[in-house]
Amino acid sequence: MEGSRFVRSKAVVYSILSILFAAAVFVVAWMYFRFIMGKGTEEQPEKIYSHYYAMVTDDYRSSFWQYVWQGASEEAASHDSYVELFGADLGYDYSIEELMDMAIAAKVDGIMVYGNSSENMSDMIAKATGEGIPVVTMYSDSPYSERCSYVGVSGYSIGLEYGRQICNARGEIQRLAINDPEKEKTTYNVTVLVEEKKPFYDQNVILSGIKDIVNRDESGAEYAIKIVNVDNSNPFSVEESIRDIFMEEEIPDILVCLSELDTTCAYQALIDFNQVGSVYVLGYYNSETILNAISRNVVYSTLAVDTEELGRYCVEAMDEYINYGNTSQYFAADVTIIDKTNVAEYLHKEEPDEK
Amino acid sequence: MRSKFAGLPLSHKISGIFVLANLLTFIVDIALLFAINRLSVDMENTYRENSHLNEMLEALEDVQRSMTDYLNSKSTDSLSGYYMAEQHFSELAGELDTIVSDRAYDRMSRNIYYMSEDYLQEVAQTIEAKRGRNVERYRILFEQATKKYEYTKTYIRSLNEEQFISNSVRYTTLARNFRKFEVFAVAVMFVVLFGTAVIITNIITNLIRPLGELAKSADEVTNGRLDAELPESTNNDEIGKLTAAFGKMMVSIREYIEKLRMSMEKERAMQEKELMMETHLKDAQLKYLRAQINPHFLFNTLNAGAQLAMMEGADRTYEYVQTVADFFRYNVKKQDELVTIESEVNLVDNYIRILNVRFSGDIHYTQQVDQRLLKVKMPGMILQPIVENAVNHGIREMGDQGHIFLKVYRDEGRVFISVKDNGKGMSKENIDKLLDGKWKYEENTGDSNGVGMDNVIARLKLFNDRDDVIRIKSEGKDMGTEVVISLPFDSDKE
Repeated sequence: MEGSRFVRSKAVVYSILSILFAAAVFVVAWMYFRFIMGKGTEEQPEKIYSHYYAMVTDDYRSSFWQYVWQGASEEAASHDSYVELFGADLGYDYSIEELMDMAIAAKVDGIMVYGNSSENMSDMIAKATGEGIPVVTMYSDSPYSERCSYVGVSGYSIGLEYGRQICNARGEIQRLAINDPEKEKTTYNVTVLVEEKKPFYDQNVILSGIKDIVNRDESGAEYAIKIVNVDNSNPFSVEESIRDIFMEEEIPDILVCLSELDTTCAYQALIDFNQVGSVYVLGYYNSETILNAISRNVVYSTLAVDTEELGRYCVEAMDEYINYGNTSQYFAADVTIIDKTNVAEYLHKEEPDEK
Repeated sequence: MRSKFAGLPLSHKISGIFVLANLLTFIVDIALLFAINRLSVDMENTYRENSHLNEMLEALEDVQRSMTDYLNSKSTDSLSGYYMAEQHFSELAGELDTIVSDRAYDRMSRNIYYMSEDYLQEVAQTIEAKRGRNVERYRILFEQATKKYEYTKTYIRSLNEEQFISNSVRYTTLARNFRKFEVFAVAVMFVVLFGTAVIITNIITNLIRPLGELAKSADEVTNGRLDAELPESTNNDEIGKLTAAFGKMMVSIREYIEKLRMSMEKERAMQEKELMMETHLKDAQLKYLRAQINPHFLFNTLNAGAQLAMMEGADRTYEYVQTVADFFRYNVKKQDELVTIESEVNLVDNYIRILNVRFSGDIHYTQQVDQRLLKVKMPGMILQPIVENAVNHGIREMGDQGHIFLKVYRDEGRVFISVKDNGKGMSKENIDKLLDGKWKYEENTGDSNGVGMDNVIARLKLFNDRDDVIRIKSEGKDMGTEVVISLPFDSDKE
């Protein structure tokens, strides 16, 4: 009887063991299979959006637009919308108008475009509006178009900021001249770089802002403001135009750059022509290169647009227009001066994800 | 469940185990096959989107080409070519997703979908304008269509490229996973093989173990060890039944052998007894015959003497001779069979009578016999030698003082015959010697018929089948001796 009980319990143990064995084999195989499958399969979309906006810019690669796009994307995500930096996925670089045309053909829900005052742009905006696609111009307007809103920075206030910086730079030149009488001067040469392709009225507003400030300068110093057209007709001509300035006999005391590329090129030219300390560059935009240049005392200061705010306003304007049929005609994003006193705050700011 | 399994026939158990093992292997194989199939389907599908996009691109080119042909030649062929191409392209475009998600592919395919729609509309308008021969209009429309064609183409190409890159990564991952899974599958199959082998081996060993034990026991039995330990039957299968049957068979064999042994022993004892009786009888007869000289002649002689005595009127002589003749006749006749107590008592009477003639009536003989016991059977030639013994060794030298008492009675289901004398008695040692058969005394003294006490005792023991058949009591010297024999009393036979 003992023996039989032993044999029986042994058999039960074997049965349980075999069942456990089979179960273990299955569980392990299944888990491994799920693991394998999970690694190779295509990820499913996390979110599906109800609105689809196209952001059309002249250069989707620039960190300026990247920041703007980032700000717009964050805002759009909270409104169940998606903003596409249009053309970024394509293997070919198209003009703003061509991209607009594509976006219209693709029946997007709204277009945010880096506008200009050309007729071509106005036609495109009209075409989009005709197809029922609202258009918001950003950073630069198409004033005579059917766009529903313009989101940008005030050219005049940019001019005022530049004016103040010119005065500050002049003050510093004067301070340095106390120890070095040779450098003392009464007239300061200010060169403002304007881009040929940019709508002139924009730059004009900036210039008038600058002039308003420098003319009111109570130090008695005189400013000789010179406007130099930078050739941006082809991708590499900007750099050449800027170098030309440094090769002239009279080199400006203060150089005002109105674009990121101008600033970067001027910065490089300063180093190459050994003019660091003698030419005060007032830059534009807060790219890492420019910020580094400020922290190294090569560039005097730069003017940074709150790009994320710009992007955010674009989406707000678009949403308002789509939901309520109307929106504010003009949104203005903030402008900040970055010089060596506050450059550290901006230097380690996260770069936007490359789109 | 366990008891159910234990009760199944062996063939079912073994086939069950094999079926289960095969089932396990089969299920694992199927599962692995399914998994491999899934992986290969995934791999096949990796570039499915790419081929779809390539096809779309071709269809798009067909539409553009056929449109251009039609604008050039306005041929029916090119028009029907255009319709076919247009249908094919719109079908392919219709398969695209139109959702807007955080995946670039989805958005791109959505854009392609709408751009294709737009392009096809443009193309349709162009064809319409060509039909209406509106040259200026179809020229402008053609330019626009061509532009859209270029856009769409670029978009499709870009998506194709994007997908190709991402699919290549995916394909590489899948291929690597596939290799890994192959190794894993082989490992799983080995584990299953090994595990099944171990489990089957153990179950079969457990199943077969009783058979092994049975074989061992059978082997021991074959070698003559009938008391070999019998295995226990645990299951109800054939082995269990066989074990149980073997156990029962072994028990029966043991019992049978025991019975046989006992009966053989009994038979042997009986044969021995018969042989012994025969031997003793033969011995008695031999001794007797040795003592007589041609009894028939003696009888005739005695008869002649008796007739002579009668003729002469000597009645006592006649009676005496007659008694002697009877005595010897009995001795001759009643040797080899059972006799009644009565005939034995008569023989003793005759013997005393003869002796009293010889010794002038010196022997006083008293008998007290229960008449109901006279027909009880007993071996012959028993009482006379005892009485002879009492006379020869007890009272011979007492002259007329000697007394013999014969008593036949029944007590506690047995018949007792007591022969008592008042002679010189027997010492304890002599009694023991006599009972043990070691008593030797001189025979053929002339007063004996030759049958000794040892012979009497031996025959009595054999007859009674027990040892305490005779008792000899003597109070001491000159206090007399009493010999009591006991016989079985069978009331039925009486």
